[in-house]
Amino acid sequence: MTRVTIPVGPQHPLLKEPLSFRLTAEGERVMEAALRMGYVHRGIERLSEERNYVQNLYLLERVCGICSHVHTTTYCQGVEALLELDVPPRGLMLRTLLCELERIHSHMLWLGVLAENIGFSTIFMYSWRDREIALDIMEDLSGGRIAHAVNTIGGVRIDPEPEQIRAARHRLNALEDQVDDLVDVVKYEGTLKVRTQGVGGASLEQVRRHCAVGPVARAAGLDRDLRRDAPYAAYDRLFFNVITASDGDVWAATWVRVLEVLESLSMCRQILDDLPEGEVSTRAPRRVPEGEVVSRAEAPRGEVVYYIRSDGSDKPARIKIRTPTLPALSLVREQLRDINIADVPVVISGIDLCIACADR
Amino acid sequence: MRDLLSVLVTVFIFPGFGFLVACAFLFEWIDRRTIARLQARIGPPWFQPVADLLKLLSKENVLPRQADRPICTALPVVSLAAVLTAALYIPVGGRVVYAFEGDLIVVLFLLSLPALFYFLAGWVSGGVYSIIGGSRSVLQYFSYEVPFLMALSAPAILTGSWSISEIISQQTGAGWILLVQPLGFLLAVVGLIGKLKRVPFDIPKAKSEVVGGPLTEFSGRKLALWHLTVDIQTVAGIFLLVNVFLGGGNLAFLRYSASLGLVRAAAFAVKALAMLLILSVTSALYARLRIDQLTSLGWRVLAPLGLVELAATMLIGVV
Amino acid sequence: MELKNLLAALEDACPDHSFEAHAMPVDETVIEIPAACLEKVVDVLRSTFSIYHLSTITGQDRGTELNLLYHFWHERGITLQVTLPRDDARVSTLTGAIPGADFYEREVGEMLGVTFEGHPGPEHLLLPEDWKTGPPLLKEHAADEEEA
Repeated sequence: MTRVTIPVGPQHPLLKEPLSFRLTAEGERVMEAALRMGYVHRGIERLSEERNYVQNLYLLERVCGICSHVHTTTYCQGVEALLELDVPPRGLMLRTLLCELERIHSHMLWLGVLAENIGFSTIFMYSWRDREIALDIMEDLSGGRIAHAVNTIGGVRIDPEPEQIRAARHRLNALEDQVDDLVDVVKYEGTLKVRTQGVGGASLEQVRRHCAVGPVARAAGLDRDLRRDAPYAAYDRLFFNVITASDGDVWAATWVRVLEVLESLSMCRQILDDLPEGEVSTRAPRRVPEGEVVSRAEAPRGEVVYYIRSDGSDKPARIKIRTPTLPALSLVREQLRDINIADVPVVISGIDLCIACADR
Repeated sequence: MRDLLSVLVTVFIFPGFGFLVACAFLFEWIDRRTIARLQARIGPPWFQPVADLLKLLSKENVLPRQADRPICTALPVVSLAAVLTAALYIPVGGRVVYAFEGDLIVVLFLLSLPALFYFLAGWVSGGVYSIIGGSRSVLQYFSYEVPFLMALSAPAILTGSWSISEIISQQTGAGWILLVQPLGFLLAVVGLIGKLKRVPFDIPKAKSEVVGGPLTEFSGRKLALWHLTVDIQTVAGIFLLVNVFLGGGNLAFLRYSASLGLVRAAAFAVKALAMLLILSVTSALYARLRIDQLTSLGWRVLAPLGLVELAATMLIGVV
Repeated sequence: MELKNLLAALEDACPDHSFEAHAMPVDETVIEIPAACLEKVVDVLRSTFSIYHLSTITGQDRGTELNLLYHFWHERGITLQVTLPRDDARVSTLTGAIPGADFYEREVGEMLGVTFEGHPGPEHLLLPEDWKTGPPLLKEHAADEEEA
């Protein structure tokens, strides 16, 4: 049978951002996948050397749209470590609240995209409608639905009033009801299972070799979550479970992410119920003393790592960003070998790509 | 002179082309609105299908260099002609343009032609997505067409006639064929969903896998005609099933042929809308199947059930 | 995993060098290793201490030399620091043992001009194929930009 090259991207209905896969297929089976990225490379690491630490907050928020808050969280944590600043408890809790809200909105976005890509537009409509509740909470607290600009070096810049906390709690209850319904649909809907079970299976060995992180790795059985293993922000004060599965296929990843949304809802509730009073930030000097720091956080897609080196001036000497989608792309090249063409959208959607993150 | 006029009116206005196109727009609107409401959306306004068609008609016609221009231009026209001709033989509330013994076979044949033209469209328009979509559509065709034909042959065998009008009038006395052949009705509905390439069987044009399937490279007027073909095929398919299984325009539980045309029309409309509702709801409820899952379903479940249906009909006349 | 056990094992693997560790925020341990010992050190980390997870490889230009930082993670962060001369920046690849290092090495290669010996496909990862002006993160490149 002749080999055909199927281009998936850079423009394709399946991909939300430009990325190029060149699939070599024989009939209905894909034999190999070649990957080309860099279409949205903006040179952020290089740009960050030209801006001072405060300007970099605005730059680094725009590495990604969906996980913008966790990028600034990791960056601020690193710089605060270099400055030896302690963020007040209220600031830490608010920072964590937005991290978890972002995780909820990101996972629900992903569920909709996966459903749409397997032709199940009903679930797409429902999950994105319910995601609006999470976005409303974030907008009410910070003024922005996607780009919140909440973090600042030394804490956060929002200080919600009691009415805002009450409104947020109210919305959270509504969101929890909707998410419970979605969980039932995911658990019992036959056609969803039939399209995702047994597809895109990554074994624990493959996950380890490609250094994959996040829900993809946890779906294969890797029990690692930086919120529990290296607690940052206010995570040492919250109770939550780390969800793992064992099959590693897209169904397991769906299940892991959906349950993580429930855990995040519980964490948000804990934060809102126990929000301490006090300041939300401490004053940070403009110049950062010489030093290096490696800062890590658990973004919705996995481990995000920032290496920051300071030379004593008010501009960083080097900022290195590693986002969780990069090892996932390395893993997906292997997962796209020897599968059906019809499973390609399922596999690619299953790893929850954020190309802007990967390209920077 | 009056004969010629009445023929022209019947063919072009009612129940001919004009009526069919109007029904096509109406059915598409009801379908999109129902699915939208099930998805917690509002849905498009009533004139959306007309607006879409007019928009497509006014767009640029672009084809890749390697595509066969004359064939690509002819295929949508021939497709549309096939479904319109098929619809001429399908009674609407008792009125039909032309009926004869054996018109059921002609209708089934004409309604299966668009699938062939769809595949050809993918083959000659070049491009990887079109060819893959085309080959999938042929695989799908065999999976649903065989059960569909079997399901629609069973009523003909039961009533002893291959004329749709005759099948309708026999149901007036005895009751709906759906009641004695529920399995056949189910197979016919599933087959119709496959024929119309609706979710869960919209595999050849799966947007996330093959972009547009066989019609990826079509645009402008050609795409408008394909669009219209699908809509009219929907109308024709629904009307066919209403006539064969639900007794057409007759109120079968009343043991006479309703002489008032308005009553027949109303009964027919209600049944047709109920069928449309079935199609819309199934589209909203399920995800798209994979092609190998569909062929497995078609040959392991549907075709054997169709054989059971035919055998039972020939032996005992029910089921 | 005790730090001194780790250092002792590394000294066994690479006898000519004495290994020291210093701490870096946040909860990171940095060990300087010579470039020639990289493969052996990583082997020790993986086989004896079960340290599999390579978070990323940071490359930076320190003026007189280039620095490569290999950030590993196992219960806490462990970073290996490798120093390379600017005019002959080459080090062996880790893709044999850790296929996930592929992308990280390609990025450091294109951004700083480091050659990873044995890498199966060292094409550009993020930069376009026809990128002309040299590795963007090298300091001389910055000087050129300012002149231009």
